[in-house]
Amino acid sequence: MLTAPPIPFQPNINDFIARLEQGQALLHDSPENVIEVVGVLKSYGIVLDAYSRNLIYIANHQFLRLFPFFKYVNGDRSLPRLLKHWWHDRINYEYAEYCMKAMFWHGGGRLDAFLDTPEFATLAAAAIQARWRGNPAMLTLHKLFPDYLPEQVRQLCYYSALGQFWRVMSDIFIDLSDAYDHGEIHTVPDVVALILNGLVADASRPITYRVELRGQTYDILPPSQGLTFLMDTAVPYVEAVFFRGTPFPGTISYNAQAYQIPQDQDQFAYGALYADPLPIGGSGIPPTLLMQDMRHYLPDYLHAIYRDRLRQEDDLRVQICESFQKSMFCVTTAAIQGLAPHPFSTNDPTEKAANRAYLKTWLRRLQESRLSRVA
Amino acid sequence: MLLSALIWIPVLGAIAIALLPQSVPNLWARRMALAIALLVLLLLIPITLGFNPDHLEAQFSEYLPWIGVLGLNYHLGLDGLSFPLVLLNGFLTLVAIFCTRAEIDRPRFYFSLILLLSAGAAGAFLAQDLLLFFLFYEVEIIPLYFLIAIWGGGRRGYAAMKFLIYTALSGILVLASFLGLVWASGAKTFDYEPLRHHSLPMEVEMALLIMLLIGLFIKIPIFPFHTWLPDAHVEASTPVSVLLAGVLLKLGTYGLIKFGVGLFFKAWIILAPGLAILATISALYGAFSAIAQQDMKKVVAYSSIAHMAYILLAAAACTPLSMTAAVFQMVSHGLISALLFVLVGVVYQKTGTRDVTILRGLLNPERGLPITGSLMIIGVMASAGLPGMVGFIAEFMVFRATFAIFTIPTLICLVGTGLTAVYFLLMVNRVFFGRLPDNLAAIPRVAFQDHLPSLVLTALLVIFGLQPAWVVRWSENQATDFVVSPELRRPTLGTAVRSPLSAPSLVAPAISPTLSSD
Repeated sequence: MLTAPPIPFQPNINDFIARLEQGQALLHDSPENVIEVVGVLKSYGIVLDAYSRNLIYIANHQFLRLFPFFKYVNGDRSLPRLLKHWWHDRINYEYAEYCMKAMFWHGGGRLDAFLDTPEFATLAAAAIQARWRGNPAMLTLHKLFPDYLPEQVRQLCYYSALGQFWRVMSDIFIDLSDAYDHGEIHTVPDVVALILNGLVADASRPITYRVELRGQTYDILPPSQGLTFLMDTAVPYVEAVFFRGTPFPGTISYNAQAYQIPQDQDQFAYGALYADPLPIGGSGIPPTLLMQDMRHYLPDYLHAIYRDRLRQEDDLRVQICESFQKSMFCVTTAAIQGLAPHPFSTNDPTEKAANRAYLKTWLRRLQESRLSRVA
Repeated sequence: MLLSALIWIPVLGAIAIALLPQSVPNLWARRMALAIALLVLLLLIPITLGFNPDHLEAQFSEYLPWIGVLGLNYHLGLDGLSFPLVLLNGFLTLVAIFCTRAEIDRPRFYFSLILLLSAGAAGAFLAQDLLLFFLFYEVEIIPLYFLIAIWGGGRRGYAAMKFLIYTALSGILVLASFLGLVWASGAKTFDYEPLRHHSLPMEVEMALLIMLLIGLFIKIPIFPFHTWLPDAHVEASTPVSVLLAGVLLKLGTYGLIKFGVGLFFKAWIILAPGLAILATISALYGAFSAIAQQDMKKVVAYSSIAHMAYILLAAAACTPLSMTAAVFQMVSHGLISALLFVLVGVVYQKTGTRDVTILRGLLNPERGLPITGSLMIIGVMASAGLPGMVGFIAEFMVFRATFAIFTIPTLICLVGTGLTAVYFLLMVNRVFFGRLPDNLAAIPRVAFQDHLPSLVLTALLVIFGLQPAWVVRWSENQATDFVVSPELRRPTLGTAVRSPLSAPSLVAPAISPTLSSD
């Protein structure tokens, strides 16, 4: 039925800051929110596991393949597998690639910086020479267009880095689901705490990338660079995918010439935290492809909640997207807590002021997000 | 007795439902009404199998002397003109009952009135006696008045009273015309077939025809006698709008051909150019008014005014093809308007509004009304005359038949058809496209049974659009007979005049010189 028009969103930043300073989450704590967040993160964890395996497979086994027809089948080229894939009874690995490209495009962090160094150029050149050894045509083309193949290698670095990042996140979300099943998770702050602990535990996990070509191993992201999970993949990922995103085709046609797209990439706000769950059916990030994948792995208790709602199965993907956004605000809360300059429990006025300034920066960015609608 | 059964089974059913004890659950009223409507449809199967479209006299005739002193007899019969409309009435009655919610207030009274309405319409289509037609024509006003006045919207009292006054006036004019015909011709009976062979002076015939026409123009309705219809549609509930647009308006156009052309042929030929101009004005008026509306139901209502005008245009042309086209347009409009009203009803039921300035994005596949929206697009395409749909066949036949007779009015009406696409696409664009606003994001889901009537109606739009002969075959001979000059018609039988649609030799000689020079 028609309802009253929504009151324009005027989020009270101070309310959210106060909530975070008290150790609570951006998402309101309620039993239904806990079930939604845990349930949807379980299905997300399963999907991320598949995405992660495929991204790493592509980085390691489809290195500089110009026509990677079989990149989504993870090396299994049997007819039943191919038929299943072509019948579209499969995971939408394209979504993972969109996220990878969003990270690659927006950059940020030491990974992005390293990819522009002479050291990387040297490492990439060695791998390129090994890949096309004995292929004068490709080597000639490489000489004619010397930027093309290194750019492909940079992209493959992001394939690998995002794969490694999601490998960790998948395990965290499955652990969260297991903890919930064992009765260890009761509140939204419990969810945030478990995610934060997972992030902290793997914060300094090294991010490396090496490929094996003709029996020899080539380092692309060597361990000596000291790239780590939290600062070099998690933070850029949150920035690129949660916040900035890409202007995707959907109901709204973004028109650069009409200045509907900011000139500055830093001003982009098309990420998962801002995504409209309704205009699904359009391509791009998010939510269609991810929601399609997650609906296959919904736990029964969450599926039952969705079925009890107004549209039942009709708007399952929208409901998943709304739950997913709730869960992403939990992950964002964990990231905010993890990156805070000082513990929120501090009594030092200077540290408190620094924390407050830090939180204001975050909350200002979330002003236009879906926070007020889902929190 | 088959034809009587079509009238009296709904009447008896209405009485039985009205007398249901209070201890019986309300649900049973709807179930009984559905069973009765279904029974009537089943009765139409042997009638369909036994009906011979080659016979021009009334078939399955039933004759019972009733009030001899008045010349009133209970004379029923089925001909090629009434047969498609009787089928339409039976089918749309079932649709209307199916579309009614089981939990409606005062269900016993409601379903009784629906069945009485259906019985009245069937009786009018089957009556072969002028007075009997008038009785049924008037009888259906009463249930319709109550259906609007009790189950209507906010201004139901006003709309119901307006409808009553207009249609009562319509009935008085029709009755006056019939009485004038009988008295002036010195006939002792109101029986239809003998009265076709009167020989009244032209001025008397003209006066009687004008009286009849004004009465029927109110019913159809034709501009400027139309003002009751948008109010009635807006205030009526969905099932009542389905019957009103699908069946009851057809009593007017049926009367035009059956009595206007059938009884006053010579006067009709003289008035025909004026009628064509009036039809053109009405078509354009309906179309332009529809463009200006904000209420979806009013858009469909004004669209009805425009499309019913095409029937008048076809009837005015008075050729075999145009008469067949008029009958086809009646069926086409009955199905299309029923579909559109059912769909608007679904939108209103789920969103609580029909205002095109509020509604938006209802085609959203997850939280909107995607099937309703898709069917609405098909419905408006049919109404706009898209090839492959029943509306295309109807309008093509109308314009093909009238172009040679009334070239300029036909061309202007073609513009009206183009305007159909304009106002309906404006409506569809506003209501169904764009982003679903947040205040509409909590629309309940539409159950399959709510989709079923519109799915069946849509299927018929396509089936009859691809296979129009399944409709045309029943009425083309009868329609041809109406335009055969009375002098050429066999005086007693009114039969055996078989002419192909294009045979001009049997058509009234007055038509060509009079009309083609226009």
